[in-house]
Amino acid sequence: MKKSTILILLSIVLLPFIVRPAIASEIWIFAIFGLGLNLLLGYTGLLSFGQSTFFGSAAYVAGWLLKHYAINVFFALGIGVGVGALSALLVGYLCVQRSGLYFIMLTFALNQLFYFSAYQWTSVTGGEDGMPGVPRPEFLGVDFKNPLNYYAFVSLVFLFFLYLMKRIVESPLGKILVAIRENEVRAGAVGYNVPRFKLLAFVIGGAFSGAAGVLYAMLFGIVPLESISFVTSGNVVFATLIGGSGSLYGPIIGSFVFIWLSESVSTLWARWPLLLGLAFVMVVMFFRGGVVEAWHRLVLKVNAFRN
Amino acid sequence: MLYALMGLGLSLITGILNIPNFAHGALFAVGAYLLVSTVNLFGNFWVGLVLAPVGVALLGLLIEYVGIRRLYKAGHDYQLLFTFGLSLILAEGIIIIWGPVGISHLPPAILRGGVDLGFTFYPKYRLFVMVLAGLLVLATWLFLEKTRYGAIMRAGIENKEMVSLLGIDIHWLFTIAFALGAYLAGIAGALTAPIRGLSPGMGVDMLGIAFVVVALGGLGNLLGAIAAGLLIGVAQALVAAYWTEASTAVIYAVMALVLLVRPQGLFGIR
Amino acid sequence: MSQLKRRDILKVGAIGAAGAALGFPGIIRAQPKEIVLLGLWDQTGAFADVGPLNDRGMKMALEERGMKILGKPIKYITRDGGTQAGTSTRRTEEAVDAEGAKFVIGPWSSGVALAVSEVAKRKKVVHLFSGGTEDISGSRCHRYSFQWAASPYTAAKTVVDNFMKANPKAKRWHLLVADYAFGWSLEKYIKEVGKAHGIEFVGADRHPLGEREFSNYVQKAAANRPDVVVMINFGGDAVAGAREIFNFGLTPKVPLIMSWSSGVEELVQLAPEIRDNLWVGTNFYYTADTPAAKTFVKNYQAQYKLPPGYAPSAAYSMTRMLLAGFDKAKSDDVQAVVKALEGLEMNDIVGPMKVDGTTHQTLRPYFFLRCKPKSAMKHELDFADVVATGNAPLPKEYAACKDIGSF
Repeated sequence: MKKSTILILLSIVLLPFIVRPAIASEIWIFAIFGLGLNLLLGYTGLLSFGQSTFFGSAAYVAGWLLKHYAINVFFALGIGVGVGALSALLVGYLCVQRSGLYFIMLTFALNQLFYFSAYQWTSVTGGEDGMPGVPRPEFLGVDFKNPLNYYAFVSLVFLFFLYLMKRIVESPLGKILVAIRENEVRAGAVGYNVPRFKLLAFVIGGAFSGAAGVLYAMLFGIVPLESISFVTSGNVVFATLIGGSGSLYGPIIGSFVFIWLSESVSTLWARWPLLLGLAFVMVVMFFRGGVVEAWHRLVLKVNAFRN
Repeated sequence: MLYALMGLGLSLITGILNIPNFAHGALFAVGAYLLVSTVNLFGNFWVGLVLAPVGVALLGLLIEYVGIRRLYKAGHDYQLLFTFGLSLILAEGIIIIWGPVGISHLPPAILRGGVDLGFTFYPKYRLFVMVLAGLLVLATWLFLEKTRYGAIMRAGIENKEMVSLLGIDIHWLFTIAFALGAYLAGIAGALTAPIRGLSPGMGVDMLGIAFVVVALGGLGNLLGAIAAGLLIGVAQALVAAYWTEASTAVIYAVMALVLLVRPQGLFGIR
Repeated sequence: MSQLKRRDILKVGAIGAAGAALGFPGIIRAQPKEIVLLGLWDQTGAFADVGPLNDRGMKMALEERGMKILGKPIKYITRDGGTQAGTSTRRTEEAVDAEGAKFVIGPWSSGVALAVSEVAKRKKVVHLFSGGTEDISGSRCHRYSFQWAASPYTAAKTVVDNFMKANPKAKRWHLLVADYAFGWSLEKYIKEVGKAHGIEFVGADRHPLGEREFSNYVQKAAANRPDVVVMINFGGDAVAGAREIFNFGLTPKVPLIMSWSSGVEELVQLAPEIRDNLWVGTNFYYTADTPAAKTFVKNYQAQYKLPPGYAPSAAYSMTRMLLAGFDKAKSDDVQAVVKALEGLEMNDIVGPMKVDGTTHQTLRPYFFLRCKPKSAMKHELDFADVVATGNAPLPKEYAACKDIGSF
């Protein structure tokens, strides 16, 4: 077993003893969200600024089914993945033809459209008020209302998705996506259907986002309007950048940092977004590559010092 | 008209610097708050209107010099992160200095009340804003089209390497461009203050609209940004007459549609 | 590879230490003898300006008792709900789990409150709320949540009936409604009550919470040629709306009704010209003629210069209601307090109040004011006169709360 795996497993086991299980769950959920985004951002070089479209859509659909049709948690998860992937297929198809700033703006604009639809469709989504009352039905005798049980479920799902992402980035697909990031023109010249691969990355990213969305809805028992807003889209991008978009584990670390900041610091100082903003600025000025990169550099320095 | 101002400023920045300036909305907000403070300080709206945008421009200069300068080689993601972080700092800074409560600010006495235009009764201040913003847009356009500096800026949008090869200090070009963009955002904010009132988050909506205007007009196309700004304003008013809730959403719908069909925007060249 | 292992373990250690030291609030818990009260007040978001006001009111009520009740110290904590459902529910759960809060007051937004109410039900904690949605004491009622504000029916009846008494010919009404739970409830009842007066609703537009650009809405309203414009919104939205309606010349020719206002805090932001022909419905106005109000207003004004509007008063009164519940139950056990609150009667700042045990709705007066023109103002805070109060309870046929449920 790789050392990083041991580390992750250790964190999973220890975390609910350091923080409340609900926050611990939130961290892993957000990490799944980040992993999905990073396939686009870090590996394919696509800054999708509308990931909450898939996160939120999946949350609403699964939430609705959970509330009114009493489906079980695994089915809900599957629905989330499906809705996430489908909406990503739609959005991605419209977006992958563009690049650069246009691409970013298009993902943002489509996100806003989805947001507006959710806002208007109050009979289903509750509009501004959100969709409360999302249950966590028990399955095979396991009561998911117990926060620790749910945490265990979330961590297992996270591990599954992490493993999945690992396989993807290490596969030929992963290499092709990196090639596209490095030099899109050449990748196309060599014979790869670049738009199609971008679309594939989009769909996978969407599937991950959808899973995260459903888990989130079940965690808090509510699908708030924010889950489909551009703020959430921005949050996952920033968290990933802070963690380090250059590595598989970056989004995980980013999730830790971001959730910690928004949960802990916010109770201490109402003006905590200032610190968040400062963190962003610092990362760009001094710590590009995020925490992962900074750590690598630190280790290198320490070793150089030793020798 | 205000949309045109914001769009013009942002287009300038994105065109010349090629940076998605997510702090543009925050600069707008700072302009509004500076207006309130300067008016309180000097007791005169007109003085405030002159000084506040200058303050924002200076802020822009500082930001560019200290921060943005280092980001030209960085990818869009970091530029986004930086400017977004900046917008957070500015918004929270506003709260710290001016408090989180919304502030009301009335227009100067001579511009209060309305004018009966026959088919509708229209507030004087809004008319004033339309006219002034229009003049500003015109002035900016004239500057860009007719003066040497303007020509340099437009050249900078087209081809940065060429401009620097011609011996012009590209760094100063960027700095001035950013400051000018900030100025436009600042004055838009100052003008808006009596219309919408102030709140620390007032920049967020404006930011989205500014990006739409830029996208519609074509990245780097300044005239396009002006036209797009006007178009969006009109479209919004039209939609509002029939389906008021959709008036903000329609902006994004239009943008999405245009970008899908004509990725370079309505007037873009590339 | 061993390098990886060392720094990895360092990483875990770092996370653990950081988390513990910098206080994910899971470590420090309230002393078991303390009674923990949570004030869920917004410091950010659309109601960022209301949160601090709520906080003042709640603090004042607690300090009146010396921060003690039943001989035990009270620990008062606040959390910023951000005027968002997701944030508010998370923070409430955190306060309940980590701080041991068993009594929650707030939030301010009706929509968010519905979500928080679900948390209260799930976590079995007492929840008091003041807002314009009828659902808390209606379709979403349950044993743990209580509504302090007047029922939107009561508000609608007070406003419409009394306005029509003064303006019997004003039959064409245009509504401007905030697009969430509070707006919808009040809109429904104003239309209901209006029917009995033969009012024709020539238009009803909804705007998002936090809207500041009202020119389109106002122009649409003007096009309908109404006799009256009614705003069903609050705070910053109401102020912005009122200003635009004035700027476009609709008022003062046409009367404007702010049907659910915060009173002082909104009125102080409007220039006297805008207040001409302005009628206001509110849950509390500072000239209310009750002994409790007089004391409260005096103390509040001494501390904060302005008299209190609806926001701080609601927080103040809700806290006093909760404290009265403790007194009556002689215990801080959640179920005992709930039972004590059911049927509780007290004379507070609004006058006589009674909590309906079957719906958890507080029956109490609602105020209807007429604002004064500048010439009639005796001092700079003399915005309005109370024209009438009304306390008509929601008729049984409308009551959507069929069963308040069990614990």
